Amino acid sequence: MHFAQQGNYMERTREDIISEVRAMVPALSLRMNGQPLVYLDNAATTQKPSQVLDFLNDALKERNANVHRSMYELSDLSTTAYENAREKVRSFINAPARENVIFTSGTTASINLVAACFCQRFVGKGDVILIEGDSHHSNIVPWQIAAERAGAEVQVIPTDVMLGEGRSGKVAVERLAELLTDKVKILAITQISNITGLLNPVGEIISLAHSRGIPVLVDGAQGIVHSPVDVQAMDCDFYAFSAHKIYGATGVGVLYGKKDLLEALPPYMGGGDMVETVTYQKTTYAQLPLKFEAGTPNFIGAASLLPALEFAEYLREGEVGQALKEEEARIKAFMEQTLCSDPEVEVYGTPMGDKAPIYTFNIKGINAGDLAQLLDKMGVAVRSGLMCAEPLLNSFGATSALRASFAPYNTLEEAQKFVKCLERARKMLA
Amino acid sequence: MTIKEIEDQIVEEFSVFEDWMDKYQYIIDLGKAMPVIAEEKKKDENLIKGCQSRVWLDCRQEEGKLYFTADSDAIITKGIISLLIRVYDGHTPQEIIDSEIDFIDKIGLRQNLSPTRANGLVSMLKQIKLYALAFKEKEEQKSAAKYSVEEIQKNVIRALKQVFDPEIPVNVYDLGLIYEVKVGEDGSVFIKMTMTSPTCPMAEDVVNDVNNAVSDAPGVNGVQIELTFEPEWDESRMSDEAKLELGLM
Repeated sequence: MHFAQQGNYMERTREDIISEVRAMVPALSLRMNGQPLVYLDNAATTQKPSQVLDFLNDALKERNANVHRSMYELSDLSTTAYENAREKVRSFINAPARENVIFTSGTTASINLVAACFCQRFVGKGDVILIEGDSHHSNIVPWQIAAERAGAEVQVIPTDVMLGEGRSGKVAVERLAELLTDKVKILAITQISNITGLLNPVGEIISLAHSRGIPVLVDGAQGIVHSPVDVQAMDCDFYAFSAHKIYGATGVGVLYGKKDLLEALPPYMGGGDMVETVTYQKTTYAQLPLKFEAGTPNFIGAASLLPALEFAEYLREGEVGQALKEEEARIKAFMEQTLCSDPEVEVYGTPMGDKAPIYTFNIKGINAGDLAQLLDKMGVAVRSGLMCAEPLLNSFGATSALRASFAPYNTLEEAQKFVKCLERARKMLA
Repeated sequence: MTIKEIEDQIVEEFSVFEDWMDKYQYIIDLGKAMPVIAEEKKKDENLIKGCQSRVWLDCRQEEGKLYFTADSDAIITKGIISLLIRVYDGHTPQEIIDSEIDFIDKIGLRQNLSPTRANGLVSMLKQIKLYALAFKEKEEQKSAAKYSVEEIQKNVIRALKQVFDPEIPVNVYDLGLIYEVKVGEDGSVFIKMTMTSPTCPMAEDVVNDVNNAVSDAPGVNGVQIELTFEPEWDESRMSDEAKLELGLM
C-alpha cells in the first residue's frame, strides 16, 4: 500500500520512524491546557491519520450518494468505496468471503444483533448463555436482555479474583469444562479486556466450546487493535469490532459471522436494502451481507475502514512495525518498573504475560477523578470512572479507577511524562 | 459580610495564582483543611445525586442562619464545596434563595472542570438552595404558631363551617353538633362533638372530615376529637340560619 512506499527504512532510526508515524496523525500534535497532548485514552477511541481524514473529506465531496440503489456513476463510486472497505475488512481478518462481513454501527450493535437474533432462533426457556467475568457492559447487557426475552439464564465464567483465588484478573478457563453444560447455547467471550489488557486464550476456549457443539462470539473491540486477527484460524463463530478504535470513523462497526449461522439467523432490523421483494403480505430478504444492513448504512464512515486498516497494517508491518513493537516493549517494561511495582498503586490484572498496554489502577487513598482532573491540566488525557466494566472493577474492590491505554503511536517519552505528571498530581493530593 | 462580598474576596484570592495547577493546589488545600464530618452525617439522604464522586452535604440552622458541613471522597470536589460553604455559611434562608453567585465563573472554575464535575457542581448548588427553601418553609410554619388563641378559635369555627353533614345540607357547626372547642396556647385544639343520632352510619366519615378541616386551619397544631352522645342532640341545638335553611323557621 502507499504507506509502505514512503522513504527508505534502512537509513532511519527508531526515533525517525516514530516521528514520521506521529506526523501522520494530526491530533497527536495538539496542545491541551497549554501543554502538548499526551493521549492515553486509546482503549476508548484512537486518533485518526490524515489518510483517513482526507478520505472522509473526499468521500463527502466526491462520492456522496446512497449505496446499492441507483444506476448513476456517483452512486457506483459510493457503492464501490463501501464494498472495497468490506473487502479490506475481509482480508484484514481473513474472513472467507464478503458475505461474512456485515457493517454495523459498532461493536455494541454487532453484539446486540447476535444476541437478539441468535437467542430468538436458538435459545429457549431454561437454556444458558455463558459470558465472561472480564466482559465490557456491551458483552453483558445485550445477553441479559435476550435471556430475559427467551426465559434463559446468563451465567458467568469467573476470574480468579471473583473466585477469591488470586489477583491476576485472568478468566478461570479451567472452570470452563464444567460450565459448558448441555444447557449452554452460546458462549460470548472477550479477546482482550478493556480493564486489564489481558489476552484471553481465545483459541483454547473456542475449541473446548466447539467440542460440545457450542458456538462462540468474540468481542474484539480491543483485540483488533493489539493483535493480528485471523477469524478462520481462531475458528470463532462471530467476531465484533468497532472502526473508531482502529483509526476509522465513529459510528461504524463490523460483525463477522460464519455463513451457515448468519443464514440461519432471522433478520434483525427491517427496512430498505435488506429485502429482495416486498409485498404487504410477505417479504423475502436479501442475501448476506445485506440481509443485516437495513436502512442507509454509514457508507462514508464504513468506507473509511479501507484507509484505516491500511494504516493499521502499516503500523504492524515491516520496519515500522518492528520499530513500534520495540517501542511498545520499552513502554511496557517502563510501566512495569514504575507504576506496576509501586506498593501504593494497585494495577488491576497482572502486568506479566500476554497483555496489551492497558493499565487500570488506583493509588491508595487518592480519588481517581481528582488524579484525572490534574493530569488533564498537565496535558495528559486518561480515563477515570468505571470504564463500562463495573462487575470486573467491583470484583477488584474498586468503585472507580484510572486507566492509561496506549496505542502503537504512543512513545516511551509519553509514558515517562505520564508517570511524572502522575507523581506530581499524587503529591498535590496526598 | 454579604454573599456578594465573600464572593469578591474569593475572586481576589484566586487572582494571585497564575496557572491552573496553582489554583488547583489551593482548592486541594482547602479540601484538606475542611473539618471532618461526623460519620452519622454521611448517610444516604445527605448524599447529593448527580455527582460522579460521592458528596454528602448537611445543613443546620442557628438563630435564623444556615450552616453547612460536607464531605466527599474526592479532595478537589471537597475543596470546591468548601468554597461554596464559605460563601453561604451564616446567611438566612432568604438570602441564600435570593443569591445569584458568579464567583465560580469569575475564577474560571466552571470552564476548568470536566463536564461531569461541572454537573456535580450544579447539583451541589441546587442542594444548598433546596436546604434553604426547606428551612424557610419551616420558619413560615413556626411563625404561623404566633396566632392568638382567639384567632385560632375563629379559624377553627370557620373550618368547621366547611364540613357538612352527609344527610342534611347544613354544616356541622350550625347544625349544633359541636359541643365544645378548646384551643391551647400551643395551637392544640380539642373538640367535643356529637352526631344527629347514635346510630349514624356516617359517624366515622364526619369525624374524619372534621379532623382534616380543623388540622388545616391556620395556627392549628394538632387536633383531638371526642365523640359524645351526652346530652343527646335535638333540633333546638341548630342555629337560626340552619333552621331557616331547613324551613323550620
